[in-house]
Amino acid sequence: MPKSKPLARWSGGRGVGLIAITYVYFLIFAQFAFLKRLGALGIEETHLKPVMAAMAVGGILMSLAAPRWSGIPAPGLRLRIALLGCAGAAFLSLLPLTLFTSMAVALLIGCSLGLLTVTLVTHLRLWLGEGDLLLKVGMGTGLGYLICNVPVFFASAAGVQAMVAGGLCLAGLLCTREVAGRQWVEEVPTARVTSSWSFWRVLICFTALVWLDSAAFFIIQNSPSLKAGTWQGTAHLWVNASLHLTAALGSAWLLRRRGLAWVLPLAYIALAAACLLLLRVDGVVLASVFYPMGVSLYSVALVAYPSLLAPGSVEQRGRQAGWIYAVAGWAGSALGIGMGQHLGVVPPAFVVAAGLLFVVPGSLAFISRRRLEIAVTIAILLLSFGVDKLLDSRRVVQASDSAVERGRAVYVHEGCIHCHSQYVRPHTRDELMWGPVQTVAEVRRGAPPLIGNRRQGPDLSEVGSRRSALWLRAHFENPAEVSHASFMPSYSSLFQDRRGDDLVAYVQNLHANDQTSHAAHAREEEAWHLNPAERAGAIGGAQEGDDSSQGHQLFQDNCVTCHEANGSTRQRWAGSFRRVPPDLAKETLMHVNPASSSEEQVNQFAHIIKFGIAETDMPGHEYMSDRDISALSRWLMQQRHYPPTQPNRSTGESQ
Amino acid sequence: MSQVLTEVLFIQEGESVPPQDLHRVVAYAAWHSLAWLVFANAVGVLLALMLIFPAVNGWLGEWTYGRWMPVHMNLQLYGWCSLPLVAFLFKAYGADRGAAARWSRPALWVWSAALAVGSISWLTGHASGKLFLDWTGYARVLFPLALLFLWAVLGMATVRGWRSQHFATWPARITKIAGLALLLLIPLLLYVASNPALYPPINPDTGGPTGASQLESVLVIIAVLLLLPYGLTKSKNGSMRTGALAWGVFVAEALLCMALGRGDISHHRPTQYISLGSLLVWLPLTPAYYSTFVWHENTRRWRVAFLCWWCILVPTGWCLFLPGVLDHFKFTDGLVAHSLLAMAGFVSSLLIFVLVQLLGEDGWIFNQRLSFYAWNASVFAYVLVMLYAGWREGNDAAFSLVPGLVRNVIYTTRLLLGVVILAASVEWLKDATRLLRANKQAAQGTGQSTAREVVG
Repeated sequence: MPKSKPLARWSGGRGVGLIAITYVYFLIFAQFAFLKRLGALGIEETHLKPVMAAMAVGGILMSLAAPRWSGIPAPGLRLRIALLGCAGAAFLSLLPLTLFTSMAVALLIGCSLGLLTVTLVTHLRLWLGEGDLLLKVGMGTGLGYLICNVPVFFASAAGVQAMVAGGLCLAGLLCTREVAGRQWVEEVPTARVTSSWSFWRVLICFTALVWLDSAAFFIIQNSPSLKAGTWQGTAHLWVNASLHLTAALGSAWLLRRRGLAWVLPLAYIALAAACLLLLRVDGVVLASVFYPMGVSLYSVALVAYPSLLAPGSVEQRGRQAGWIYAVAGWAGSALGIGMGQHLGVVPPAFVVAAGLLFVVPGSLAFISRRRLEIAVTIAILLLSFGVDKLLDSRRVVQASDSAVERGRAVYVHEGCIHCHSQYVRPHTRDELMWGPVQTVAEVRRGAPPLIGNRRQGPDLSEVGSRRSALWLRAHFENPAEVSHASFMPSYSSLFQDRRGDDLVAYVQNLHANDQTSHAAHAREEEAWHLNPAERAGAIGGAQEGDDSSQGHQLFQDNCVTCHEANGSTRQRWAGSFRRVPPDLAKETLMHVNPASSSEEQVNQFAHIIKFGIAETDMPGHEYMSDRDISALSRWLMQQRHYPPTQPNRSTGESQ
Repeated sequence: MSQVLTEVLFIQEGESVPPQDLHRVVAYAAWHSLAWLVFANAVGVLLALMLIFPAVNGWLGEWTYGRWMPVHMNLQLYGWCSLPLVAFLFKAYGADRGAAARWSRPALWVWSAALAVGSISWLTGHASGKLFLDWTGYARVLFPLALLFLWAVLGMATVRGWRSQHFATWPARITKIAGLALLLLIPLLLYVASNPALYPPINPDTGGPTGASQLESVLVIIAVLLLLPYGLTKSKNGSMRTGALAWGVFVAEALLCMALGRGDISHHRPTQYISLGSLLVWLPLTPAYYSTFVWHENTRRWRVAFLCWWCILVPTGWCLFLPGVLDHFKFTDGLVAHSLLAMAGFVSSLLIFVLVQLLGEDGWIFNQRLSFYAWNASVFAYVLVMLYAGWREGNDAAFSLVPGLVRNVIYTTRLLLGVVILAASVEWLKDATRLLRANKQAAQGTGQSTAREVVG
């Protein structure tokens, strides 16, 4: 491939300019300013329809006729006529028009735009010069959208917009001189990027995209709340402008690498997302991101396909361009606007149907290429279904179907085994925290044993003897609320049917029935004490009232949810506690003897914190460190010695 | 013995296979393997994310951590770790060429369809509660049937190739028939083993596998390691002694394993950990054994990698089983680290090595320098980080149960390393896709150009 000269590489500025001017004219004048101008002239509602129909008829007819019209063969001259027509229509729109003259101007807009678009894309290579042609198309399209979204221009009066659009068309006349007489090097990999897409498939897909685009545009434009969330305000407009330019350049890059097979489906995904998001009030912001991206993605392809990517001669490409702009451009646009007018939304079913246009042809081609694989796979799937049903019919149905058994199935199905073990290892710290130990024979009674191999949460083999049904229910619904910093997901959805209650029943049932081992474990718990240093610290701190911020924080993290009047768990489950959790600072505590020594009280608090209180809803904190238990015990003791009405000795503030 | 096996399984050079067809089935199997690897790795990243940002669970409705875990583990095992061995079987039984090759692709499709059905089944809350044997309901029937279909394809290739060079001698025929008979047992064994009522021996001190069970599992891997070269390449001249020694040691250890029995025995029993320690003999023996075969030059990088991982895996695995050490690390991230060392380190590099050897010149898809180092370095760092986490957790269970700064830093590091591991696998999948496309173009063209030339 001959190497391009640096200057020649930039020689396509005329083409870039013409594309940008065409988009600006179409977007800001034909679709926007002209309608505002008609509104100002009192041509609205029913009167508007014939005017718009005239524009569409002009556009469709000229799009189809232009490639077949041999009257003026020179592309440059045709383009100049089209640009003059566009400019003339823009300036004429400034006059005080009647309905009839409006229709005439609309017809002129349609005809001129039809001629301009088809001529431009058919012969675009004449003005694009050398180098990366797709990038230039992307640049032209992106610039066109960017200019339209420049806040000053976007927010200016209809007359100003019409004059600027007309002026740009006149300026465009300077770009119509053909870059001819040279052997330009084309860098468009046409064969690879378009090989799998027939012209009719491209036409249908473009029509669907324009339809979605126009419908979404109309809906946003005509609902103030959506408009405010998408393209009102300077920041919004600059964001839109940037998104358009980025997406357009991205589209050019993708077209070069992957062709239409990627760009059009991606444009569809973006526009479909925008249309669906517009159905929800809280989706407008995201829609305002997807919409410009989708529009620019396909807009680049709309120019690039007939001008650079479609196979065939110039005449063939011209005719294809005519069909694309007549059907996809004008008719698709009219249908989209009609949908927006009559339905006010893009129905999800329509979005899905449009998506099928992108999926079905590719799927059919894929199926035809992989007939054997698909046939065999379906056959095996069906055979398996039959065998499974046969085995099912021969399986002995379990008579017993208790809540505990169903709950076990829920435990298995939810994959609890991946975070929780059910195996207390003998002679390890497990025993004190989660014991007593079960024998292997006991463990094997489960089918299968749910021993697990990783603990992201505590062992559950004896959880039924450590946690009440209420605690379990509250924990399944909102783990972090009752278990500080828990990263276990919420299983509240299980309580929408009986699965949740079954799971609680199963977990409550997780404990050994061997009373001897339970008694031994109870003795082990009873014998437990804080390590001497922490115990001494707790007793001393409680008596002297030293710094207790750590204890206070631990209380906030672990206790407040139940032990304070406005604690979230306490409020939510107020009627379900066996005994409403007491205010630890004020109320009499059943399991702490006020007459006992400080040392004994610390020990009692420490035991309650670590192991909870049997037969109540008070859980233990089995893996809390001695230091934390000591700090929390100390703080609780202080609260009871220095009630809230008195200033706290450590901080000097009322608690 | 090694000479006989070489004669039996070795694929003769100069066989009349069109160049564009030579690696197509293997490349297709590699693509399926990699597709599942990428998906399983992506799920792994999601799981790591869930442990740092639990809110992610809420966004996914009922598809919470516990439902994604079997998807991750089973796809790694039955997708990524199994399909390269399927490619190996295609090659060994001649199902990668001729008429049988036409049915090899559907076999891969059915396998992948079974994995897809399995994934949906686990995500929709259907599990058996048996880790790595989580097949239940419809999927429990489908997956063994997929294996059975694969077996039928291999059987067909055997029948069709009966008079070919691969089956020229009676020892060759007998060995392959015996292999087929063993392969036929696998679907049945898988179905039976998925039965929740069956459970392997339990180490009463940990709840995990016994030393004998571990020895048994490792010996299965060693058997695969010993057999693999015979379907992949030929042995060097005069290498009989090392091969005979390796097979002799294997037989001795198999006998030792049988002698240990299958009771629920603690790892504190010296017979258990001393027996497991016998595996250390494979540290020098495996590299020595592999050096007696001729390997494609493209395999060098991954051959070194898998042997290095092996040399780390075996001693660390044994150490982790020792009394005191296993008691410290059981149920912690320390064993997660070792699992990753085994699967992402050793097994993955072994499988890639096998695929590269099978693909020959097309093995370039695994030899990008960046992805090679990114994968291995990330796995190594992951192992170290999680081993440290396991050490901390062994001292204090609250370390991982109640998230703190250090735990969160470690888990975030793991997440980032997981992303790097995922990126490396994506790179391989991308290159495998390019290879398939190039193979297709080469096949559509004159057949003179190889896929490598088409890819350029």
